[in-house]
Amino acid sequence: MIQARRDVLLALGLFCASRAIWCDNAQADAPGDRDTASKTALRFGLTPVILDDRIAFLRLWANWLEQQLNRPVVFVQRSRYREIMDLLLRDRLDLAWICGYPYVQHQQALSLIAVPKFQGQPLYQSYIIVATESPFESLSDLQGRLFAWSDPDSNSGYLYPRFALMAQGHDPDHFFRRTFFTWGHRHCIEAVAAGLADGAAVDSYVWETLALRNPELTQGTRIILRSPLFGFPPLVGAPGLADTDLQTIRRVLLAQEANQTGNRLLGELSLDGFVAAQPSLFREIARMAETVRPGSAP
Amino acid sequence: MTLKLSSYRHRLPLSLSVAAIATAILMALSLGLQTLDNLREDQGHNALRLGHAMSEVLVQALRHDDVWLAYSLLRGPEENVADATWLLVDETERIFASNRPARYRLDQPLKEAIVWLPTSVPWHETAALGRVHPIATQPDGTRRVLRLQLASDGTPVGELVGLLSDAPFLGRFREILLGGILVTGGVLLVLLPIGWLWGRRMASPLTQLASCMALVGKEDPRRLRYLVPDSDSEIGQLGRQFAAMLSALAEKEALERQMVQAERLAAVGRVAAGVAHEVNNPLGGMLMAIDTYRQAHEIDARTSRLLDLMDRALQQIRGSVSALLVEARGDTRTLTAQDLEDVRTLIQPKLACSSVILTWRNGFAAPTNLPAAPVRQLLLNLLLNAVQAARDGGQVQVELSAEEKRLLMRVDNSGLTLPPEQLAHLFEPYPEARPKAQGLGLWICYQIVSQLGGTIRVMSEVGLTRFQVALPLRVGGAE
Repeated sequence: MIQARRDVLLALGLFCASRAIWCDNAQADAPGDRDTASKTALRFGLTPVILDDRIAFLRLWANWLEQQLNRPVVFVQRSRYREIMDLLLRDRLDLAWICGYPYVQHQQALSLIAVPKFQGQPLYQSYIIVATESPFESLSDLQGRLFAWSDPDSNSGYLYPRFALMAQGHDPDHFFRRTFFTWGHRHCIEAVAAGLADGAAVDSYVWETLALRNPELTQGTRIILRSPLFGFPPLVGAPGLADTDLQTIRRVLLAQEANQTGNRLLGELSLDGFVAAQPSLFREIARMAETVRPGSAP
Repeated sequence: MTLKLSSYRHRLPLSLSVAAIATAILMALSLGLQTLDNLREDQGHNALRLGHAMSEVLVQALRHDDVWLAYSLLRGPEENVADATWLLVDETERIFASNRPARYRLDQPLKEAIVWLPTSVPWHETAALGRVHPIATQPDGTRRVLRLQLASDGTPVGELVGLLSDAPFLGRFREILLGGILVTGGVLLVLLPIGWLWGRRMASPLTQLASCMALVGKEDPRRLRYLVPDSDSEIGQLGRQFAAMLSALAEKEALERQMVQAERLAAVGRVAAGVAHEVNNPLGGMLMAIDTYRQAHEIDARTSRLLDLMDRALQQIRGSVSALLVEARGDTRTLTAQDLEDVRTLIQPKLACSSVILTWRNGFAAPTNLPAAPVRQLLLNLLLNAVQAARDGGQVQVELSAEEKRLLMRVDNSGLTLPPEQLAHLFEPYPEARPKAQGLGLWICYQIVSQLGGTIRVMSEVGLTRFQVALPLRVGGAE
């Protein structure tokens, strides 16, 4: 509650700061600003790969992007990766922040715009977590237990744990007594902390960010397995995204860490910045996807 | 100080206080229980309403096998302060979701999870409305169970079970109770001293009356009368009755005293008169014998001296005896105002030598049928007595008046106060208290007054001794 209030205050502070900058720019570049509203909005899809429940922050980021891109920016949120993917593939979105797993599945149709830098590099992990007080020490201890997946299209919350079980010679569909989806990494952490599930697989970026912002939540969980490093969930362009737009967006994103307000917004996301990346960054995810394909549907 | 519970002085305020405390406790208790009852009822209603509100989404969660959806709904916004334990049970009676997931695990049979839970009622249309059943208090504090059948298209798909305990509102109930106790205590703090004082005030006339009654027979009733409480209440009435009784008692005592005195004086008068007659008869004979002897015989000087001695002695005896024998009715001349003025003249020489100041007020003018001589003697005696009592430089005041067919004479002097014991024997001949006085003045006054059918009273206080005489004036001059 207090944390939330602090976030709102911080967001308001940022908002004021950004308004000030916006005003400066408006004076310098008035004609360009006037047609911001008239241009078609940039539709930006978000998935629970980030903490997408922070509306005030997202509004500030949209404001900043609008000002940088000189066109309206609309964030589109859905609770499930698949819905965002559908919208993206049908060009109902211009770009989206998606997981590496659906990216490698639709790599041909999508264009890689940028990958965020987390802890200095565009990489993250999957954490297998259990309740702090529980006796489990390894993934195999969870046999016959309750397990929470994050999303069937999540790399860290679904693909990797299944791959890891298969690598240990288990059948991921029958290894646990029962599994269910929570449709979010944060929910997975909550489910394990509350005792709803015995274990869960979560995005290391989400867990670490929550450990900083809501330590009382992550304190109820303990990491028993850290995956190898994978490519961080990327920002990808829709099949129909014009190349000029793609370049503009990429330029803005790559320059965000150099901009004072943009950098503060990145700090809010616990990210260091965005980098351009090659599809090869997701090779490992593609390999796992290939391995688990026959039983990929839950 | 020990508290005597038999006394109304303690019993009345004590019972008032006990009544106030008992009322306060009973009120607090009944209000508290009523509040608890209301809180429980409200909890049941709210839980049922919440259950109904959640039922549609829960059915969806059951049908879509969405554990997280069911859990996040049952968990509510603040999982730690949930009012109830919620269990969503699927159609095979296994737990599907709960807001206490660590305690009630997914897929756990309901019968295993809650052994004391009565078996679920068979599916019925009315069961879909849900009910809250009170049950025996369980170790986990559960007192009521909510059961709501969940159905989709008329077919049961599961059940929502709510375990309700008093814990959520017990804190609030304690606050209410504490508040009630504090307010009651505060009111008592004000009421108790008031009640105590009031009780004492109510009881104080009773105790006053009781202590007054205890003194009857020991103290003068006239003095006791001032100790009797006075108010409009029943106790006040009792007090007034008691005061009336006291004054009746005092009157009776005074009357008795007067009667005794009058009887004593009458007896003394009779004895005196009898003795006087008995003495007078032989005395007359002896005097006559002496006289006869003188006339019939030649008497030598020695015999003559002897006879003279006898004659004088006998005359002295006759004088003394006549003084005792008061004859008020002997005189036939009636009293006039001038007779009374004569008394004033007669007393002047006495006044002159004792320097007593006389104030004389004669409001009596008409002639009367009272005999003149005894009344003159009466007034003179009273006046002489007053002048003597007033001593040098004192004051004497005489007031004469006629009123309601009575002649009133009042003689005041500023002499010493007479003690009560002296007053009681004042009118007796040769009183012990005044051995030096000749002793017959007031006795004669008394005899005259009683023979004339009047009254004589004396009172004495500081600086004033008053004799008051009332003589009836006979109308028509019958005698």
